[in-house]
Amino acid sequence: MKRLFLFGFAVFCSIFSGISCSPATPQTDRIVIWHWMTDRDKAFQALALQYEKETGIKVILELYAPSDVYSQKIIAAAQAKILPDIFGILDEKSVVADFITSGFVADLTADFKADDAAWEKVLFPKALLVNRFDPDNPYGVKPGIYGVPIDITNIQMIYNKNMLKKAGILKPPATMQEWFDASSALKRVGLSGFVSGWGELWMADCFATNYAFNIMGEDKVMATFRGEIPYTDPSWIKVFRIFSQMREKDVLVPGIVTKSNKDAEQDFALERAAFAFNGSWCVNVYNDMNPKLEYGVMLPPSASKEFPMKIWGGAGSSFFVNNVSPNKTKAIAFLKWLTAKEQQTFLAEKTQNLPVNQNSLASIPPILAEFSSSMESTTHPAIWPLNEDALVLEAFDRGLQSIIIGEKTPEKVAAEVQKVKLRQLERQKRIKNDLYQ
Amino acid sequence: MSGSPFFNKYRLWRWFKSGVVHVFLMTVTLTCLFPLFWMVRSSLMTQETVFVDKAIFPAVWHFQNYWVAWTEGHFGIYFLNSLVYTVFVVIGIVLISSLAAFAFSRLHFPGKNFFFYMFVAAMMIPLPGSFVPLVVLMNKYHLGNTRIGYILCMINVGLPLSILLLKTFFDKIPSDLEDAARIDGCSKLGIWRHIALPFARPAIAVIVIFSSLSVWNEYILAMLLLNDQSLMPLQRGVMYFAGSHSVDYPLLMASLTIAATPIVLIYLVIQKHIIRGLSSGAIVG
Repeated sequence: MKRLFLFGFAVFCSIFSGISCSPATPQTDRIVIWHWMTDRDKAFQALALQYEKETGIKVILELYAPSDVYSQKIIAAAQAKILPDIFGILDEKSVVADFITSGFVADLTADFKADDAAWEKVLFPKALLVNRFDPDNPYGVKPGIYGVPIDITNIQMIYNKNMLKKAGILKPPATMQEWFDASSALKRVGLSGFVSGWGELWMADCFATNYAFNIMGEDKVMATFRGEIPYTDPSWIKVFRIFSQMREKDVLVPGIVTKSNKDAEQDFALERAAFAFNGSWCVNVYNDMNPKLEYGVMLPPSASKEFPMKIWGGAGSSFFVNNVSPNKTKAIAFLKWLTAKEQQTFLAEKTQNLPVNQNSLASIPPILAEFSSSMESTTHPAIWPLNEDALVLEAFDRGLQSIIIGEKTPEKVAAEVQKVKLRQLERQKRIKNDLYQ
Repeated sequence: MSGSPFFNKYRLWRWFKSGVVHVFLMTVTLTCLFPLFWMVRSSLMTQETVFVDKAIFPAVWHFQNYWVAWTEGHFGIYFLNSLVYTVFVVIGIVLISSLAAFAFSRLHFPGKNFFFYMFVAAMMIPLPGSFVPLVVLMNKYHLGNTRIGYILCMINVGLPLSILLLKTFFDKIPSDLEDAARIDGCSKLGIWRHIALPFARPAIAVIVIFSSLSVWNEYILAMLLLNDQSLMPLQRGVMYFAGSHSVDYPLLMASLTIAATPIVLIYLVIQKHIIRGLSSGAIVG
């Protein structure tokens, strides 16, 4: 028995000492990338092989999914000081700022600005904004560009061409009235109107802020965030009323306030709704669920002519370079290559994501080109000068849900949100006073 | 007729009660088995039919999904890794926890209760809360990205509950039995080997199944600790088919079926011991 145990122990030790190994010491002819994009892994691997053929530098792509586990891994790796040459930070801008101020992320400004800003100029400016830190940014980060976007994304309205044709609708609606008329026409032929994953609060919030920008403009929205304009202002009431009108006109599919985006995507892909509000990633999803689906992309129907309609969008996924990596220069060179026209076109074709390189637009699938054509109309909370307080935002989003289910009126929700806003402003004032005393 | 022994009211009442119990149990069984059935059913469909075909059994059975899942998800190496991790972690947990529990139960040493409660208190720490410190610690001792590092971490995760379970069992061993063994010439280790371990067999069965389940299904710690893809466990292969936006459902379901099969088999093999362990209070604590 004892001999058997000793034999087993010896086998265990020999197996594990032979197979296991600590991370190899960094080599100068290879770059290690940690990513989380399962659906793009094959395309990345193909590009890595091509890069090795062209330059002799081996690119090792390691996939860690899902994204929330990836985020934890990056934080743990930063603490253990074992970050790879290239990685992503999937958290808010404040976390990116923490990584930068802790010295984990390389400043890429000089590389973007080199050769008369050749690299910067080929990328969508809106995509770069997410990784750019302006002078006097609230995070105390040295101004500059720190991340490389590898694709772009935006969230728009999508319509089913066949369903619209069946209802006799010749062109996608451009105004709210046209949209409501289209929904009535759809109802008449027994088809459902609009679906979105509003069980995920941020999607309803995104839809509402689009209309806030359209009805009152960015300045007034920011003034509300600063507490200078109340949520009971007529412009905000108009924003809330859009949701009550959608309910009254029976535009929404039943149960929209509890739908996850995955369920909503399934509804649209299987032609259970004629309109959807979804991100550009849906091209991939719809293609998986129903390759024969015929659909088009449009901006949300405008509610006012005073200000242009804005949609959320910008950089989709971004990579950052490890500031202390011995392969920093090679890592930057690879990212420059990855965002070049040919590689971006290849990625768009293989993964159905919008390319970050503006020169790739001519050679991408038409539906992606439709999405890209609205990039000028994009905005995003990450690039706004300030964001709303989290508790106010929650009250706002919950209020939207209450309006949709007919539990509360727009006026009541506006009053409730304003009450939370005043409480938070008071709290912030108190904290500020305590700090100065 | 009411006087007939066949329609005796007590017999009818017993049948009624038995019928209600059986209907209830069948409902519970169905709700437990239906997700498994749905997983296998979906694994035999295509991405196009999985959303539209509402039939209980698919019209065409795509068994090739299993082969595609196995090869594309690199299940060969991941399967072997999970097998190695499960075997060594379970052996480690059973060995260490039984020795520790025996010491806490039958030996007298200073700070015995303090150390025992420290182990029990470790169960209160939420698992994800300990992940980042574990990664930092393992890397400090050059055990990050190694099989041994991962196995040690998983043993550490499984120890508190196992010690608690086994101590409860060892506490029940009559001291006369221990004295008799000592008179027969057994050392302390001998008593552990020949008296305590056989006595705690139901509890060990419960520990084996619980630990196997937790190691087999573990993913987050492996992702944090391991970088080399060739060291990853089976769940890594499953995740390959679940993209952040698009999911290949048939392949995901096929990979889940592959991943679930061994653990179902383990359960079936040792279910007698598990049931005895549960009914004799192994998890009462």
